[in-house]
Amino acid sequence: MSQQKMSFVGASRRVFDLSLGEMLWSRRTIFMALVVGGPVLLALIVKGVEMFGMSALRVNGQKVAGIGIFGVMIWVLFLRFIVPVLGVFYGTALMADEVEDKTLTYLFTRPIPRGAVLVGKFLAYLACTFLVVLPSVMIVYFLLVPLSEVPGTFGNLLVDLGLLALGLAVYGGVFAFVGAFFKRPLVIGLIFAFGWEQVVLALPGYLKQLTIAFYLQALVPHAMPSDGVASLLQGMFRENPPAWVCLAWLFTYLGGFLYLATRVVEKKEYILEQ
Amino acid sequence: MSNKKTRYFVAVMGTILAVGLGTGLVASYMGLPVSVFSRAAGPEELQYVPADAAVVAYANVRDVMSSQLRQRFKAIEPSQDEKNQFEEKTGLNLEQDVDSIVAAVIPKDGMANNPAGSFLILARARYQASRLEALAVEHGAVVSDYQGKRLITHQDEDLNDPTPDNMAFGFLEADLVAFGSVESVKASIDARATNRNVVSNNDMMKLVNEIDNANAWAVGKFDAIAAKAGLPAEITSAMPSISWFSAAGHINGGVSGTFKAQAKDEATAKNLRDVMGGFLAMAKMQAGTKPGMQQLADSLIISGEGNSVALAFSIPSELIDILEQMAKGRQPGQIQQ
Repeated sequence: MSQQKMSFVGASRRVFDLSLGEMLWSRRTIFMALVVGGPVLLALIVKGVEMFGMSALRVNGQKVAGIGIFGVMIWVLFLRFIVPVLGVFYGTALMADEVEDKTLTYLFTRPIPRGAVLVGKFLAYLACTFLVVLPSVMIVYFLLVPLSEVPGTFGNLLVDLGLLALGLAVYGGVFAFVGAFFKRPLVIGLIFAFGWEQVVLALPGYLKQLTIAFYLQALVPHAMPSDGVASLLQGMFRENPPAWVCLAWLFTYLGGFLYLATRVVEKKEYILEQ
Repeated sequence: MSNKKTRYFVAVMGTILAVGLGTGLVASYMGLPVSVFSRAAGPEELQYVPADAAVVAYANVRDVMSSQLRQRFKAIEPSQDEKNQFEEKTGLNLEQDVDSIVAAVIPKDGMANNPAGSFLILARARYQASRLEALAVEHGAVVSDYQGKRLITHQDEDLNDPTPDNMAFGFLEADLVAFGSVESVKASIDARATNRNVVSNNDMMKLVNEIDNANAWAVGKFDAIAAKAGLPAEITSAMPSISWFSAAGHINGGVSGTFKAQAKDEATAKNLRDVMGGFLAMAKMQAGTKPGMQQLADSLIISGEGNSVALAFSIPSELIDILEQMAKGRQPGQIQQ
């Protein structure tokens, strides 16, 4: 008896529903909790130190304000590490895990468009990472920034949240394609995020336009910290394209790579190793 | 959604986000005074500073007086005779009895012609109130009561002066005296009584809150002072558009500090940072290989983002030793040798 094929949207929703729980309670989530719990723990330590009348961070003997520490954490921990690393680990695994676990056949034999499997899983990845990363940023913000400074800095927090969400989506989209197309996606993803992007950003020229970090970092409302040679070089050759250009490129990357990933999943013949 | 566990997780995380966003939005639209959730920053004397003060400065006199830096300069201070005379008359030893001083500028029309009328000084010290009062009356002052506080007023004797400097000092607390124009001292007493003081000025208190580990600092609204100071138009037009500034320093063996300015827009702040960066580069080049100057130039750090500009410096005691030796080396007698 032939089954009626579900619509793309309906199928994506079903896959999303199934994948969200799987993703949240997988071993990978322990890794994510550790990665995201780090900044919260750091903020708790800073708060604890300040409660004893000391200051956690000083420059030339002067206290660095809470919003300054928060800005450094957004740059160093979230934008440069957590967002790319979650994008790599989750994005590349969207299809690769199904191939590795040899469960892809069960999904592809369902009466749903094959592309909807990837889109549903991508949406589950977004929900999963947003639900863990954004509340963590919110907790860090309220631990570090005194309530009296909230009115003046809340706008920047909203920009930060939007930026992190967009970063997770774009990195996720790019690595979803990598995961769908390449055989060893994790290695390629790590090389891209922590090799290519870091090197190219520290060089003069146009190559940095072929990175996601270039457009993301141009939108950050906090001052770029100078915490090492790489940061100094990146700061030296840093360009700030207008916000609309950055947003346009980031959404183009997101849409383009997600479309490509969907096409790959629809067309590619996955060979499951026995 | 998949199962109960997932639903709970989504609900908890969603609630954290919603509560955070809600708190932030309420705080942004309605404002939160500094004192709502935390003890107000700065010294308690700020409760006596009127809310319209444009500049507030503080010095922990006891800390500065006992600092190693001050002890070094004590040896080269002039004669103690004048100090002794002052102590004999007032019973106040400036070095030992004064704890802290808070100074405020309350901009008023005609401030350029009568600057003294805009100042308010709050000094915390161990006073002999009756002795001070008797001394003031001896010099023609009048004692009165204002809102239950003792007020000692000295009338300006120049009857032709259109803006007479009627000065006063009032005992706000047993160890706290306000000094300034009669209006300023009365405003200070009112500020505490009505709770409408500078502590309720969120912009000012935000800057005060950022100051840490400083035994002397000043915070102020630059444009408010510039507007009332009666500066020539040529000067005001050439000055950068700075709205707020703060300067904080810590004096002990050496001196360290930070100067921060809040420009009116990002372009002005960027220009200021560029100009300061240029000066800094020039200073570093000039310092050359001179160890003292190079160390000083290296300690200067320019920072800031958006509308803000900050310059931090640090002069360690070793550097003061070097500078002292350099100064001694330049004494005329030694040059001739």
